[in-house]
Amino acid sequence: MIDILPHILNGLTLGLLFALIALGFMLIVGLMEQINLAHGSLFALGAYVGMQMLGPRPPMPADWAAAWLALPLGWRYALTLVIAPCVVGVVGALVEFCMRRTYGKDPLYGLLLTFGAAMVIEEAIRLTWGTRDYVLQVPQAISGGFIFQDLIWSTYRFYAAGIAAVIIGLVWLVIEKTPYGAIIKAGAHDSEIVRALGINLSRLRLAVFIFGTMLAAVAGIIVAPIWGIRPHMGVDAVVPAFLVIVLGGVGSFWGAVSAGILVGLAVGLTGAYASEWSLLSMYILLVAIVTFRARGLFGKKSVLEA
Amino acid sequence: MNGTAPNSPDAARLITPTMLVVWLGLATIPLWISQIGLYPYLGIEILIWSIYALSFNLVLGTAGLPSFGHGVFFGVGAYAFGLAQFNVSSSLWICLTLAMLAAALAGVFVALFISHRRGIYYAFMTIAFGQIFWTIAIKWHSVTGGEDGLLKIERLPADLGFVSFDLKNNASFYYFVLAVFIVIVIALWRLTHSPYGRILSAIRQSETRAAHLGYRVWLYKASVFTISAGMSGLAGGLFAMAQLAAFPDVMSLHQSGYIVMMTLVGGGLVSFWGPIVGVVTFLVARDVIGAMTSAWMLWFGLLFIAIVLFKPEGIAGAFRSVVDGGKARAKRAEGVSALRLLFRS
Repeated sequence: MIDILPHILNGLTLGLLFALIALGFMLIVGLMEQINLAHGSLFALGAYVGMQMLGPRPPMPADWAAAWLALPLGWRYALTLVIAPCVVGVVGALVEFCMRRTYGKDPLYGLLLTFGAAMVIEEAIRLTWGTRDYVLQVPQAISGGFIFQDLIWSTYRFYAAGIAAVIIGLVWLVIEKTPYGAIIKAGAHDSEIVRALGINLSRLRLAVFIFGTMLAAVAGIIVAPIWGIRPHMGVDAVVPAFLVIVLGGVGSFWGAVSAGILVGLAVGLTGAYASEWSLLSMYILLVAIVTFRARGLFGKKSVLEA
Repeated sequence: MNGTAPNSPDAARLITPTMLVVWLGLATIPLWISQIGLYPYLGIEILIWSIYALSFNLVLGTAGLPSFGHGVFFGVGAYAFGLAQFNVSSSLWICLTLAMLAAALAGVFVALFISHRRGIYYAFMTIAFGQIFWTIAIKWHSVTGGEDGLLKIERLPADLGFVSFDLKNNASFYYFVLAVFIVIVIALWRLTHSPYGRILSAIRQSETRAAHLGYRVWLYKASVFTISAGMSGLAGGLFAMAQLAAFPDVMSLHQSGYIVMMTLVGGGLVSFWGPIVGVVTFLVARDVIGAMTSAWMLWFGLLFIAIVLFKPEGIAGAFRSVVDGGKARAKRAEGVSALRLLFRS
C-alpha cells in the first residue's frame, strides 16, 4: 500500500497539470462553442517564448537586455509568466480574427481553421528555433529535490501542481464570481439577447479567445521544465486537452478539472506499472467512460453534438 | 449536396461521362508525368490516396460523420496485406481481400462503440481509437515490426487465370491501381446514389429527423463506417504494395488529419469528385512546395486557412459555383426577357 502512494501523488500532480493545460481549451469550447486545435501550438509557443526570455539572449534591445539580465532570476521568472502569455495572446488574437468568419457555420470549419493555424505555428516554431530540445531555466527555490521518507521528491512538481491549482481556482472565481464571467457565460448561452443588451459580442469573443490563449501559454511555461521543450510538444498537449474536455463533458468546469485529475491518475499509475502503455491508458479511460455516458462525466447539451 | 442531384440523368447511370473523362485523363498520366518534372511513383500515390479519400468521404461528406482517426483502417489494411502475404497465401486477390476484411473488422469494432455518439463526442472517440491502434502498431513489435515497420512486402503478380501481370515495375502497377480505382469509383457512385445513400444524406442533414422517420440511425452510421473502413483498408493494402512495406506512421493523428484536409480542400462536402481534387492538390503541393522550401507545411497550412476562410466548400465547390453562377446569370437573363414578353402583351 505504501509504495503506491508516491504514484498516486505523482498522478495527482500530473492531473492538475492536465487540467491546467485543458483550462484555456475549455473556456473557448464552453463559452464560444469552438474547438481550438491551435491550443497545443500556442502552448508550445508560450514555452518557447518563456525559454527565450529566461535564456542568455532575451529578445529585446541591447540596453534593455542588460537591465533585464541584471534582475535576479526569480524576478525574471515571475515577469516572464506575465509577459510571455501577452506575446502569445497577440498571436491568439490573430487566430481569432481569422476565425470570425466561421462563426455561425458548422463547428467543423472552426476546427479546421485552427488545425491549419496549428500547422502554421508549429512550422514557424521549427523555422525559428530548429528541432532540438531546449531547457527552461527555473529559479533555484523551486528546482532540485528533497528527501521525504527515504524517497526523493522533485520540488518543481509540487510547485507546478500548486500553481496549477491556484490558476484553476482564479479562473473559476473570474467565471463564477465576477460580472465579466456572467457576461461571458450569458454570451455562450444566448448570444442574441446579450447583443440586445448592448454588449459588444465580437469584442467579448476576442477577449475570451485571448484569455484562453494566454492560459495555454502559462500552462506551456509551467509544464515545460517537466516535459522539455521541443516542436512536438504542441501535439502532445492538445490531444490530452481535447480528451480532458470530452471526458469531463462539454460546458462543465469541474467536469474538466476532475477529468484532468482522473487522466493524470490513470497515466501516473499505469506509468508506474506498465510504462510502455501509459499514454494508452487515457484513451482507454475515455472509451470506457464515453461508451456509457454519452456526454462525458458532467456534460451539458451543446451545439457541438449536432 | 454530395454527389449529383437525384433528378440528373447521371444519378441513375452506372458509368457517367465525367467518370470516363477522369479515367481517361488518369490513364494518360504515366505518358507525361516525367515531362513536367514529376515522377511516375507520384501517379500511384495519387490514385491510392484517391481511393482512400473517396472512401473516407463516404463517411465525412455523404453521412456527415466527423471521423478523425481514419488512418487506422488504411494502416490496418497495409499491415494485413503484409501479414497475409507472409503467412497465408501468395495470391494477390486473397491478400487484398484479407486487407479489406481486416480493416472492415476493425471498422465494425470501432463503429459499435461510436455509432450512438454525436458531434464532438463522436469525433473524439474516433481520435481515441486512432491513438489506441497507432500505439498498438508501434508497440506490438513481434507482429508489426514496431517503428521500423513491416518490411519486404512484395508486389504479387495479378493472376487472372488465363493471363498473369507482373506488377513489379511502376507503370504496370499504376494501371493495376487504376483498375481498382475504376471499380471503387463505380461502387461508390452507385452507393451514394442508392436509396441507402439517400438515407445517409438524410442523416447528415438531421440525425433526429431521420430517426423520427423510423430509420435506425445507428445501424446506418455503423454500416457506412464499416464499408468505408473496408475500402480504406483496400487502399492501405495497395499502399503497402506501392511502398513494399507497411509503417505505423500512416495511422498517426497527423496523417488522419491530412486525409480530412485533402477531402475538404478538394470540396468533398459538395462534390463526389472533390476528394480526388484535394488529393492531387495536396500531393502535388507537397512535392512542388517541398522542392522549393523545407517549410512546406507552413505554406500549405496558410493555403488551407485561406481555403477554409474564403472558399469553405473547397476547390470543387468553387468550380461548381463558377459553373452554376454562369447558369444562374443565363437563367436570370432569360427570366428578364420572359417578363418583358409578359408586359408587352
